[in-house]
Amino acid sequence: MSSLKIENIHVKIGDKEILKGLSLTLEEGKVHVIMGPNGSGKSTLHKAIVGHYDTEITSGEIEYKNKSLLELNPEERALDGLFMSFQNPVEIPGVNNAYFLRTALNAKRKHEGKEELNAAEFLRVMKGHLEALEMKSDMISRSLNEGFSGGEKKRNEILQMLILEPDVILLDEIDSGLDIDALRAVSEGINKMKDGKRSFLVITHYSRILDYIEPDYIHVLKDGKIMKTAGVELVAQLEADGYDSIEDESL
Amino acid sequence: MKLDTLRHLTSEDLGKALKLNSPDPLLDKLVSLGLPSKKSEAYRYFDSESLLSPVYNMLDYMPQTIQEADKVEIVNGSVITAPKDLRVYYAASAEIDMEHYDPLYFLGHLLSPHVIIIEIDGDREVDLLHRFTQSNTLIHYRIVIKNQANRHATVYESFESDHAQGSLVLYGYDIHIAQDSTFRMIKNQTINDEAYSIIASHYINVGKQAHIMLKYFDFGNTSALQLLKIDLGEYAHIEAGHLLYISGRARRGTVSQIVHKGEHSSSMQESKNILEDGSRGIFDALIRVEHPAKYTKAEQNSKAVLLGESSYMVSKPQLEIYIDELEASHGATTGQLDEAQLFYLQSRGISKHEAKKMLIIAFANTLIEKVKDSRHQELISDSFEKAFYAHEV
Repeated sequence: MSSLKIENIHVKIGDKEILKGLSLTLEEGKVHVIMGPNGSGKSTLHKAIVGHYDTEITSGEIEYKNKSLLELNPEERALDGLFMSFQNPVEIPGVNNAYFLRTALNAKRKHEGKEELNAAEFLRVMKGHLEALEMKSDMISRSLNEGFSGGEKKRNEILQMLILEPDVILLDEIDSGLDIDALRAVSEGINKMKDGKRSFLVITHYSRILDYIEPDYIHVLKDGKIMKTAGVELVAQLEADGYDSIEDESL
Repeated sequence: MKLDTLRHLTSEDLGKALKLNSPDPLLDKLVSLGLPSKKSEAYRYFDSESLLSPVYNMLDYMPQTIQEADKVEIVNGSVITAPKDLRVYYAASAEIDMEHYDPLYFLGHLLSPHVIIIEIDGDREVDLLHRFTQSNTLIHYRIVIKNQANRHATVYESFESDHAQGSLVLYGYDIHIAQDSTFRMIKNQTINDEAYSIIASHYINVGKQAHIMLKYFDFGNTSALQLLKIDLGEYAHIEAGHLLYISGRARRGTVSQIVHKGEHSSSMQESKNILEDGSRGIFDALIRVEHPAKYTKAEQNSKAVLLGESSYMVSKPQLEIYIDELEASHGATTGQLDEAQLFYLQSRGISKHEAKKMLIIAFANTLIEKVKDSRHQELISDSFEKAFYAHEV
């Protein structure tokens, strides 16, 4: 069963067309991995799905929960269960991390008709996640991402994912800049979210994260299109022969 | 009194108009600088003329007995209360900065020949409340503050008003920061709903190896201007910050001159401005490094967030340098809220409206959080949020 269906989308950033008729269906409960050369449009795909202001979808459709995603603004997409971890999370001095996380969680709970959590209840929810991600407790009392190391920013993205419990999770190079311990902690956080229903769309350049999160499908994105889809065995081929070896299967 | 009628008078006629008995060099200074107008350098971006043209009632300054209380309270220019162990008294004004650029600094001294002197002994904090209760009145007074060498003093300045509509407050400090001391001044000012207008003209002399921190928090929808002239001695340091949140037709901000006079003196000046539609913020700040002030470090920074199409920020950080051996930088940015930050919050399900509010409050917090005393930090935070949410409603 599909959780998100992308049909023949063309996406521009500025005047330049980046995605040129891309189609992809995310299956419920599956981990889809996108690989591809630099500049092929991987991050643009994520941005287009979450409604980033840089992107303009000129044609095509993205269907999510039986409705067009394109009609929703970014916060409505998030409230409906989409989550994207940012490759370079922005720093927001003056916005307390805990306040931000609670505001986001309570917006989601309100949307779902649940009671909002007060500060004490929220901290109880947080405690277990912080320990699992091996995050220092002072990180939630600091300004959002301000002065965080690359690894701390990535862990903070995963913390948000764990708290918000989204249905479709888009991870953009979540493994970049992580040391071995951080990669393990982040991967464990991702694996914790696997429940047979959630779908993942993971962008990565490296195979090492795939040792932890066990993908179901590998898609190669090149020249703005999905050129090839296969199982995890495709990674070894890519590492051996590079992206030049991939031909467009759709032709 | 109609202040506008003092315009273009000779020193002699000005002395007569101000009922002075003898010639005063301040009269010559005021005449040479001229009353503020659109052409005045310091008042170019501030609508001073509309404040100088009404006819104001004048107050009779009768000396009052100063009652004992935990704070210094000045009502319509007269000291009503002061803590027992703080020396507060009236005296003839002395040590006037004859190089001040602001004509209203001199007018203030001419109108107020007796100034309020506050002498802060030892390490201590002083709460200073200004209260205005007269409408359509020219409320003028000047304060001299002195601290002790090698001591740490903090003044928390706040403002209240009741039925002060249409009044103009002309006040200011002459502050003498003793050698090797630390002095902090935190101003929390909210003026709303045409309550009154205020022009504050200060002179601060920072002694050798002394440190001063000025943090001004300025909110509301009426016009106000503060004009600072600060002289820095050898190894003296100033950290000056100004947070502005204004709305309506307000014209508000800071005009300043920081003059590095001594070697190894340093200054860090930062201005943060949040401007609702229709308002105008002013940061017109000059740092002058004079010939003896070798090895100066000077930094100026102004950031403004415009929340409406007709909001307007005048950012003029300026450096005037007469030596080679120094480090100096300045910069100004004016724009909308950061789109990437806004999107990040929205991508977590926070509505655009709520995300904007979070970013505005965050922008303000970066300066509010520099107030280390938690009670005063909370008071300033409350003042800001009150002004912000009052406008939102």
